[in-house]
Amino acid sequence: MAVTPGPGSGQAVAVLPVPRRRLPDVRLGRESRTGMLFVLPWIIGFVLFYAIPMIASLLLSLSDFDPRRPDEMAFIGLRNYEQMLRDPVLVGSLWATVRFALLVVPTTLAFALGAALLVNSKLLAGRNVFRTLFYMPIQIPIVASTVVWIGVLNASNGWLNLALGSVGIRGPDWISSTTWVHPALLLMGLWGIGNMMLIFLAGLQSVPTELYDAAKVDGAGPVASFRHVTLPMLSPVLFYNLIIALIATFQYFTQAYVISNGRGDPGGETLFFNLNLYREGFAFFHMGYASALAWLLFAIVLGLTIVLFRTAGSWVYEGGGR
Amino acid sequence: MNGKQFGRLDRTTIRLIALLSTIVLIVSACQAAASPSPSASAPPSTAPVSPSASAGEAVEIEWYVGLGTGENEEQIPQEEAVVAAFNAANPNIKLKLTVVDNDFASDTLATRLGANDPPDIIGPICIRALQSCGGQLLDLAPLIQSSGVDLSEIDPALIDAYKVDGKQIGIPMAVYPSFIYYNKALFDEADLEYPPHEVGAQYDGKAWTWDTVRDLALKLTVDSGGNDATSSDFDSSKIDQWGLDAQFTAEDTRAWSTVFGGSGSVVAADGTTAQWPDNWRTGLQYWYDGVWKDHMIPTRSEAEAIGGGEDRNTFQSGRIAMDVVHQWYTCCIYPSTGEAAVKAWDIAVLPEGPDGKVTSKLHADTIGILNSTKNPEAAFEALSFLAQSPELIQTWSAMPAIESQRDAFFAGIAPWTASKSPAVEVDWAVSTKMLAYPDNPSHEAFMPNFDEADAANKSFGTKLWTTSGLNLEQEIDKQVETLQALFDEGS
Repeated sequence: MAVTPGPGSGQAVAVLPVPRRRLPDVRLGRESRTGMLFVLPWIIGFVLFYAIPMIASLLLSLSDFDPRRPDEMAFIGLRNYEQMLRDPVLVGSLWATVRFALLVVPTTLAFALGAALLVNSKLLAGRNVFRTLFYMPIQIPIVASTVVWIGVLNASNGWLNLALGSVGIRGPDWISSTTWVHPALLLMGLWGIGNMMLIFLAGLQSVPTELYDAAKVDGAGPVASFRHVTLPMLSPVLFYNLIIALIATFQYFTQAYVISNGRGDPGGETLFFNLNLYREGFAFFHMGYASALAWLLFAIVLGLTIVLFRTAGSWVYEGGGR
Repeated sequence: MNGKQFGRLDRTTIRLIALLSTIVLIVSACQAAASPSPSASAPPSTAPVSPSASAGEAVEIEWYVGLGTGENEEQIPQEEAVVAAFNAANPNIKLKLTVVDNDFASDTLATRLGANDPPDIIGPICIRALQSCGGQLLDLAPLIQSSGVDLSEIDPALIDAYKVDGKQIGIPMAVYPSFIYYNKALFDEADLEYPPHEVGAQYDGKAWTWDTVRDLALKLTVDSGGNDATSSDFDSSKIDQWGLDAQFTAEDTRAWSTVFGGSGSVVAADGTTAQWPDNWRTGLQYWYDGVWKDHMIPTRSEAEAIGGGEDRNTFQSGRIAMDVVHQWYTCCIYPSTGEAAVKAWDIAVLPEGPDGKVTSKLHADTIGILNSTKNPEAAFEALSFLAQSPELIQTWSAMPAIESQRDAFFAGIAPWTASKSPAVEVDWAVSTKMLAYPDNPSHEAFMPNFDEADAANKSFGTKLWTTSGLNLEQEIDKQVETLQALFDEGS
């Protein structure tokens, strides 16, 4: 029983309530809680459709899982990762992907930026019509548009070769030639630059006009204005589009699958990384190896993104200094 | 409700949602493991398990089509009608039809097996598809025995073709010999005799060999200026009509080698060594020269230009004079809609090959039950109905494996073939004659590391079909090396 001594007792043993150590308040603010509720569906979706499959694929990458014989699955440690080191098909697919990326990424960025400049120009009549026209192909499912493009690029009666033939040029066998299949896929890709163009357009419209006025006062022409005002101001958008394009190229699949029946023909030129991954998993049923390839793809894309972010400081304008 | 109360309630709500989410995640993660895997189901050779549906509830049986014939758009309405007829006659079973494009059917099935979502019945299934999923099929022997199905009328060799590891995984249902479909109008236009209908018969005083076929095909290959391929004025860049094709081979070099070279195998007798037999080299060279030197066979881009894109149904275009295809192609000579381009056609026997023999590349189909089915008896009931359906036999152009049913089958085809061109009267005796010359071993037979070796042979076919000026001998040697590496990897 606690006794509280009376005043002046001389034995003042004060038993005072000790203030409890205050724990940091981890409770979310009301606004944050409401926000959390709103993002919860996304979090659940992410966990269900991304996090769990990713963990599953990591585990599968350590196994020899064959979907036809799930009961015979065995854990084989890092053997799938070792196999990558001596897999010539993987090397070929990586090389095809890198070459394709070197062709497609800069070309697509250039064309998308060009189209954005065009539809942003005050000199262009019916700008909104052109913006719609450039954007429209995005609405068409990729498989459908690829099938149409296969017809357009047919060596015998495709529109492109008929057009070339009308000016005396014999067009190549776009889809079946190891030389021309990448340019053929590039053409298909350029048809769908609407999204990237739209992002560039938004970037262009956010460049302060005073900068152009100042440049004009300093005697800058259109080229100098573009080089010294537009490009630096657009560099964050360019950086964003570059990263998106690079990731998309490493994940390139549908068009390559459709034009080659999933085999990567001609001569393995369309056996891009993702198609090789799919083939290993769903055509040859090496699901364990395919899972390991998926993690390699993740590492490659992550590595490239990190490198790009590291270099971004030297060329991306961040408002107030580089 | 003050702010504090709201905060507490809100926190509780968050906790509840988090708890529910966790339960959902755990349940969804465990669901696959909780369900029996295909291999964990009752052993196929033992007595079938009872249907899982409770009394009075219709058992759903899924029939998966696409691994063989049956996925062409012209065939699907008839399949749907047969399913409807079965469902009307069997209220306790609900048969559900799933049709998948042939190019993706094997992949899709494997994915579904891996996802523990397999169909019950698969088929028609060809010999090639059996190499990939034959191990997953139910042994029908106990069901055949208990139901009293009579197999005595079927050629025992055909029955054995569907025995895998001692299991009877299918009842032979249909056979499809190959032969030459020819467009009579193009022969008439060129004032040429029709090709022979009898094995051993001559053509224009010459033995019916692939050399004779070449001479004939060159005369039937015509450019837009009306010059045939024997003329010095012939322009190979403006071909309007081709003399020969072997369509729907899926760019499979084993198939082309067999058509033009006779029976053979890329696997030597020891079962592990890769090879390309001499008669296959000769046959493939004939085909390659036919495409790139003689121009009497369309290139892939030409086949796509006249054959409806990726379908490559070249004969239907009316611009192919002779086409080596199987019995099942009867389904697709006429387009599903619109006017038929081929009005008058017939079939002829295949010529003697470089091995000195006549070889008719043979396809065969069956319907099987996956050993993962929860309702084998209901599935077998549906299978028996489908296997005996004359409408399906008709729409699949499937020559019955039971010999005594063949006359009725051909009699049934006649009105259908005449439906779009009344003048057509096909000599179906050619088809039964060709059945005596099957390729043995089959061009779809087993190879070590089958899926990868098969894909490699198809990629090789794509290369040959799309690239001119290759040294074929060197290419074949390289292909043998590729196959050997794949065989070694598989073993």
